[in-house]
Amino acid sequence: MQFFGGSDISPSPPAPTASGNNAHMIYVFNRNGVCLLYREWNRPLHTLNAQQDHKLMFGLLFSLKSLTAKMDPTSLDKGNLGVPQLPGQGCSFHSFRTNTYKLSFMETPSGMKFEIMQFQFLGRGLGENTKLLYFVQLLFFLISIKFVQIILITHPKTGDLRESLKYIYNLYVEYVVKNPIYTPGAPIRCELFNTSLDQYVRSIS
Amino acid sequence: MAAIYSLYIINKSGGLIFYKDYGSAGRMDTNDSLRVASLWHSMHAISQQLSPTVGCLGIELLEADTFDLHCFQSLTGGYLNPFIYLFISVLGTKLFVVCEPGTQHMEGLLKVIYELYTDYVLKNPFYEMEMPIRCELFDINLSQAIQKDRVALLGR
Repeated sequence: MQFFGGSDISPSPPAPTASGNNAHMIYVFNRNGVCLLYREWNRPLHTLNAQQDHKLMFGLLFSLKSLTAKMDPTSLDKGNLGVPQLPGQGCSFHSFRTNTYKLSFMETPSGMKFEIMQFQFLGRGLGENTKLLYFVQLLFFLISIKFVQIILITHPKTGDLRESLKYIYNLYVEYVVKNPIYTPGAPIRCELFNTSLDQYVRSIS
Repeated sequence: MAAIYSLYIINKSGGLIFYKDYGSAGRMDTNDSLRVASLWHSMHAISQQLSPTVGCLGIELLEADTFDLHCFQSLTGGYLNPFIYLFISVLGTKLFVVCEPGTQHMEGLLKVIYELYTDYVLKNPFYEMEMPIRCELFDINLSQAIQKDRVALLGR
């Protein structure tokens, strides 16, 4: 499993902060929009049933991404509005704020390039066809397991949570991806992940 | 380098009534700006649905990789009645600016622009509500306000 290294949990979680539960809920989606994880800590208002709520959230993020890709004021060629973007392609967003909550968003394409490079390095001795086969398999594996979107909804006054989301992603890799009995694409039912997530989220200010 | 990239004003039904570009790369054409505006209108409404607590009035600030989007929404005094203010927030005119990431004091600028809108557009007897804004005085005063904001930004 050394292709998938480089994701060890950093010894100290970022932003060691005062206690207080500022997080409302978390969503983890895979690439196909399946909700792998939904946890709520403090949510007095439910407007929809759970499934509708997840769909609406995924749709909102998808549309906001196509909006930001189209609006990007720094790039000349932006393509058409609504054309699906590959992970990491186009201008994305990392958070938005309303008067009652703040949504922080992370998707994980960034590690992928590095892992593919690592693979090319490791696969030097192999024949071309074998290499291609492994490469395709690896790519499918990465897309099915490692590509997730993490959405954390917190109090509107919380600061920049990009590092916290990275930490949560590392938790996911450690406790879910490396869990041998976890099937990719299935909802996460992993006690250790949930407890460490709860513990970490409590420390976010 | 422009601090503000563009300004949009959308009416209560999501139609773009004013769009001005202040130097973003690859200017959007009219159709795209209309689409983006109405997409923003619906995203704004959906974000209210997904709120974990009551009283959400929609997105105020969107932080993208290369820009920030600040949105200001006019409310017509319905705040006192909790049963109607959600309704009213859907009905308001929305202004939003696209600016460089981390630009401060955009709420103030948006309020100034909103004041100009009320003074020179809504009080104009020839202006029809919900229709595209074509008022010379508004254009003049708006460019002055943006200029002033840029000078203030340089001075800071």
